Amino acid sequence: MRMGEKSVATGQSALAGFGLAAMAAARIACGLRGVARARRGALLVPDAKTTVLAAKRLNTAAGVLAASVLTDSAVEHYRGGFHNKAMITPLVTASLSLAVSIHGNADDEPVAHEVRDAVYFLSGLTGLIGTGFHIYNVGKRTGGFSWQNLFYAAPMGAPAALTLSGMTGFLAERVREARPGTAPTIAGLLAGRLVGLLTSLGLFGTVAEAGLLHFRGSFQHKAMYIPVTVPPVTAALLAAAAIGPRKRNLFWARTWLRLTAIIGVAGAGFHTRGVARQMGGWRNWTQNLLSGPPIPAPPSFTGLALAGLAALGLLEDLAE
Amino acid sequence: MSERYPNYDVLAKRWSPSWNEITRHVIERRLAVPREPVFFDKSEWETLCAVCDRIMPQPMDRPPVPLAAYVDQKITSRHLDGYRYAELPPQGEAWKRGLAALDAEAQDAHGGHFHTLDGAQQDALLHRMQQGELHGPAWGDMPCKPFFEHRVVADITHAYYGHPTAWNEIGFGGPASPRGYVRLKLDRRDPWEAVEDQPGNDAAEKNRHVV
Repeated sequence: MRMGEKSVATGQSALAGFGLAAMAAARIACGLRGVARARRGALLVPDAKTTVLAAKRLNTAAGVLAASVLTDSAVEHYRGGFHNKAMITPLVTASLSLAVSIHGNADDEPVAHEVRDAVYFLSGLTGLIGTGFHIYNVGKRTGGFSWQNLFYAAPMGAPAALTLSGMTGFLAERVREARPGTAPTIAGLLAGRLVGLLTSLGLFGTVAEAGLLHFRGSFQHKAMYIPVTVPPVTAALLAAAAIGPRKRNLFWARTWLRLTAIIGVAGAGFHTRGVARQMGGWRNWTQNLLSGPPIPAPPSFTGLALAGLAALGLLEDLAE
Repeated sequence: MSERYPNYDVLAKRWSPSWNEITRHVIERRLAVPREPVFFDKSEWETLCAVCDRIMPQPMDRPPVPLAAYVDQKITSRHLDGYRYAELPPQGEAWKRGLAALDAEAQDAHGGHFHTLDGAQQDALLHRMQQGELHGPAWGDMPCKPFFEHRVVADITHAYYGHPTAWNEIGFGGPASPRGYVRLKLDRRDPWEAVEDQPGNDAAEKNRHVV
């Protein structure tokens, strides 16, 4: 099923639904659109196989983010006793996002998939609405937006990970449906640049979340500094690569993205050890899985790093 | 037994993560308190048992918490409060003197031992003790009011609420080591907490699974 121009237009309007994406697009549109147009003729453009590969990488990234959100929100919302019925929503949408990501990863067709598109859009939307719920939850508590409530009420940054999953998946579909023989563009921007920039923003946001909660934990373990020191460098390098000149050397950006991907996995390991260190250890898992460090949270960094690597792949293809 | 938390049994958590070896040991010792006096003599013991029945009356449909035994044990095991009111002698001496004085007051007022009086007479004497109105020679230099407040009420109620039977009654979770609680907001409940009986919430059935 070929979606063609009309679906690109639909895609563009849907893209506007992602506040983040729209904001970033508005900011970089003027600067980059011209570049894309001016250089397109001179490019050795990627074939369909290359764009599909990039899209599949983005599907994978979206899937990793969705898996992180699914497990994390399942644990945390179970802890909250699903007090608000809406707390079941991220479990459903993250599951769907994970499922379509797996599907997308196995799909070699150079066309966007309507169901995947719809699910990714829904995930992005759920994340935004969830952020609203979490902000409301913090604000309504005694003390309002105090440190105490930022630490212990619904984490304001957490639902954004679902938005990032939806956004990454949505971008995957846009890359996938790029016309053969042209550089993939989204809303008139080169896909590599847009994905790179949005992923960089996502990394900064995730750093803020980890920073807040690790500060709450008073950085009691030296490794707790890693997610607030390494990923900001990665995000900066990725942003620089995304907006920088065409033939930029991507070595350092790629290296730090790989490092960040490893950190996400290692973080889950550190958090597993953190649970074990709590009183009663794993025998007391009913308590410690909930009160200890969240094991599913750190792989968000891995998901974002994979998206960043996919963006570099797109940038590199264009740089030939 | 417990109407407010039907079927809730805190002892069912004995082998759950809520209890560790230390807590199991502590509760075992607490439940194995000797029912016979070690510190008090027969007369003091009878008065103490009667006082306990008035301060903390217990329902007849379950084994009572042996309150007098805990008061005795607290003294013999030298389980001190960590502080002492200056007008009161050390806990053992205070109890001995206070019980003897109360019994003397009973004989003065009614011509019988405190434990032989009816409930209303016992309550009247305890009430006068609470008001600081008992001044018989057996009290010596110990005022009866602080004795009532800091020994009689404190030791007996502390003993009662240190017992699993009382925990079941008030839905208290009991030992929480190593497992504590994760749902800390008002009116939120961890699965290992008792369910309070409310219309239609099936507390009796849910409490069977609280471990």
